[in-house]
Amino acid sequence: MGILQVLGNGLATTVRKSRLLVLLWVINFVFAAAVVSPLAIIVQHELGRSYAGSNVRLLDLSWRGEALLKYGNSLTAIGGGLLAAALLFLGLYVFLNGGIIGRLLDREGRPTVAAFFADCGRYFGRFARLSLLSLVFLILTYEALLRLVSALISPLIENARVEWTSIILSNLHLLIALLLLSIVHMVFDYARIAVVADEEKKVLRSLSHALKFLKKRFFRSWAIYLLIVAGFLAGTVVFYAVHGLLAGPTVPFVLLGFIWMQLYVVFRIWTKTVFFAAQAEFYRAHPY
Amino acid sequence: MKHRIALGCLLVALVLPNPARPQSYVAAAADIPVLRYEIWVELDDADKMLLGREEIVWTNTAHEPVPDMVFHLYWNAFKNEDSAFLREARAETLFGDEPPGDGDWGWVDVTDIRLADGTDLKPGLRFITPDGPENPGDQTVMRVLLPAPLAPGESVRLRLDFRSKIPRTMARSGYYKNSYFIAQWFPKPGVYEEGRGWNAHAYHHNSEFFADFADFAVHITVPRTFVVGSSGKQTEVAIDESTRKTTYTFRQSMVHDFAWTADPRCLKIERDFIADKEVTEAEYAETAALLGLPIDEVRLPNIKMILLIAPEHKRQIERHFRALRAAIKYYGLWYGPYPYETVTMVDPPFRTRSGGMEYPTLFTAGTGVLTSRDVLSPEGVIVHEFGHGYWYGLVANNEFEAAWLDEGFTTYSTGQVLAKAYGPGVLPLDLHGIPIAPVLRLPKYFDFETDRVDAIKAVACDPVTAWSWEFFNGESYSANVYQRAATLLRTLEGLLGEPAWARVMRTYHMRFRYKHPTKAAFVGVVNEVAGKDMTWFFDELLESTMTFDYGVAQVASVKLPRLRRGVFDAGGSRQEITSKQVEEAERREAKAPPQSGPAPEYLTTVVLRRFGEARVRGDARVEVLVRFKDGTTETATWDGQARWTRLEFTKTVEVESAQVDPRGVWLIDANLANNSRGVDALRRNVVKLLTQLLFTVQNLLQFVSSWS
Repeated sequence: MGILQVLGNGLATTVRKSRLLVLLWVINFVFAAAVVSPLAIIVQHELGRSYAGSNVRLLDLSWRGEALLKYGNSLTAIGGGLLAAALLFLGLYVFLNGGIIGRLLDREGRPTVAAFFADCGRYFGRFARLSLLSLVFLILTYEALLRLVSALISPLIENARVEWTSIILSNLHLLIALLLLSIVHMVFDYARIAVVADEEKKVLRSLSHALKFLKKRFFRSWAIYLLIVAGFLAGTVVFYAVHGLLAGPTVPFVLLGFIWMQLYVVFRIWTKTVFFAAQAEFYRAHPY
Repeated sequence: MKHRIALGCLLVALVLPNPARPQSYVAAAADIPVLRYEIWVELDDADKMLLGREEIVWTNTAHEPVPDMVFHLYWNAFKNEDSAFLREARAETLFGDEPPGDGDWGWVDVTDIRLADGTDLKPGLRFITPDGPENPGDQTVMRVLLPAPLAPGESVRLRLDFRSKIPRTMARSGYYKNSYFIAQWFPKPGVYEEGRGWNAHAYHHNSEFFADFADFAVHITVPRTFVVGSSGKQTEVAIDESTRKTTYTFRQSMVHDFAWTADPRCLKIERDFIADKEVTEAEYAETAALLGLPIDEVRLPNIKMILLIAPEHKRQIERHFRALRAAIKYYGLWYGPYPYETVTMVDPPFRTRSGGMEYPTLFTAGTGVLTSRDVLSPEGVIVHEFGHGYWYGLVANNEFEAAWLDEGFTTYSTGQVLAKAYGPGVLPLDLHGIPIAPVLRLPKYFDFETDRVDAIKAVACDPVTAWSWEFFNGESYSANVYQRAATLLRTLEGLLGEPAWARVMRTYHMRFRYKHPTKAAFVGVVNEVAGKDMTWFFDELLESTMTFDYGVAQVASVKLPRLRRGVFDAGGSRQEITSKQVEEAERREAKAPPQSGPAPEYLTTVVLRRFGEARVRGDARVEVLVRFKDGTTETATWDGQARWTRLEFTKTVEVESAQVDPRGVWLIDANLANNSRGVDALRRNVVKLLTQLLFTVQNLLQFVSSWS
């Protein structure tokens, strides 16, 4: 199966299972609203009845400076709270991934909420172990491979004669880091898919399946991964281009802006499901 | 001995070449410099050394004999980790300079020091620590005893030989590969202050410089392939074919420092600032009227602009000159004409980390190969560093002891020029050298807005007027002397009004050109020009660490009932109005409002609070504007001395909002959000902001989930 066909099938699967998107968006929205609410109370308290609120912007230095002055001592607590929320959401997604992949791989079954959460529970233990394992791989990648790359590139940057050399090399360094990261991500995506597709109980064995699978068709797999990344970046560009047109402060603009932002969040979630769906299609089309 | 020194001075006056003097209309206002320098220096590119000889003539202008001379040897700050500079840098958590790496140290050795008659002064040479015993290993200040005290009015001529190791760039001086930026490089006398002695502080981490005005002639020898830019005007070039070296001579009168750069790669471009092309008659007339001066006094001279720029920044050449033209024009119109013939703008050689610094008639800018039009860089740094030439360069306050008089004035002036010439700009933001601010659609700001953000928090630890190295840390130093001082100047501008303020700045600048004014001098000018005592402003806001914050705490209207409950005496009888009667009357009125008679009245209460410790004083008052729902307004003032006050208004309409400082004078107010308060909650932009905040968190969470 060609990679475009894989992508097409993956997209079709995500469209068929669009209920998944709604569910994941609701989870994201509710969680984010809970995180934002204390900050929203502060903003409302400070600006809700002030003229300063009439022209405030998200990246407005003035009110941020004032808030920093007033709530600076609470920054550690706020930062800690946000970090805790982020970790909690990470854990939640380890749980949700089982449901996402489980429902995507179940071609005929409907993505009901009950079936979704049943899959979440079924695969949670294995996915949690895989996530910990991916952490080890990430550390190894950064400590070993990226240090090696740094050892090669950094002296060239440090001894650059002109600015261009420095810019090109440092961006090359960043690009290599991102590509290495994408490979680790991809390997563990396939390992998760192997857990579900092969009903594999041992995570190391599922990782081994994924590695064997990728060994035979690494570049095609990577191309699928990078094409989805490119699609996501293109979508992001479109989002920001349109978002800039919705900058007015009137009620219709605020409403349209809100809807547009939520559509982008759905797009992000959809991209995540496309990764899983397309890779699952590819995995099933070429048993390791 | 005295006779010999005087004779020596006479000879020096005859022998030393006459440096290029500032243009005549300013020279008339200038004092005669107390110092004359002639320096010969050779750059040893292979060993990263400078070999120099310096001849100076110093005149004792005090009314007391002077037994010694004290010199700054700034590069010894980079000699070892015992220097005050590096010890203080080590204590910094945010803005600390890393000490030089092995082999990258810099230093300066005075190998010989003699009077003109050959008397060897080296045996009497000692390093001193004028700022206390905390840094006994510091060697940045040297004292040399004279054979006999120098009488008032007499001069001494000295010859110093020095040998310096150029540091791998530290504090904007040094080298990267074979690119050099050479600043604070020669032995420089301190400033002798009558009754106080030599004012020569150690080189501190959070401090810049202080020196006397002087006439300079500097001969710089470099390998032939090097392009050289320098303070002053280039007057001679001598090529030595046998050594393949070139000697450039630069001269300048009435400057207090001299810096230069040498780089084989950079391009050197010259343009002229032609005043008649840059400034219209209408602009001259407007400025003259604003300042109350004859139009001829505000006319600007032509100036030679020189740019040394890296080849990879070639396409930004016109951008550099446009910014410099704007700076020359507006500083010139507002504060006084630029008095020198040349100004040299250096795009610092790659990795010399010498960008964004000022020296007399020369400054360093700084840019990148990738820039954005919306980000005012390099414009901001060009306008700022050229502006230093007006404050640090001409109104040469002591930057060790009153840095705000330079940095604050320059930061304030930069904002004014940029606003006039360019409008607001986007803050610079890049990722690995690639500008990303335009992609992120960051908002545009005027400088005074961004300055205020730092200014309001800067007050926490130090007053603006602290000595440079006595600030809590580099962040406090920087936020106080730059942004808080600039914000206070803009606040003062708002208080005095534009015409008075324009005259304050012009008077202060022109009166103290070529002098060393202190805060008292500026306060004196403010009081004189404003015609009232504004000393309180400086005491309250510059000398203290008090926060300034007035705000509206409450605003509400209540309808006054036509009937009031209780027992009332009327016509010799006593009558009680009960709750029931009041309710019935209100019900009747609600059903059928009276067609005639007085409309119902509302009592509006506005509570103002002084949240900060600082207070308005003098004739200043806190202004309050109360808006009502029918569009009418009421204004009131409060002396602002108590912690709070209550204002009451009885009108036939309900209140909409109350606002303190409606004209936006008090930019230094730490919380502008509480300056106004409406009765209606939730403004549309706040809703929009909350949706954006939610969206940001949703995206962050989605990003985090990608690691699951």
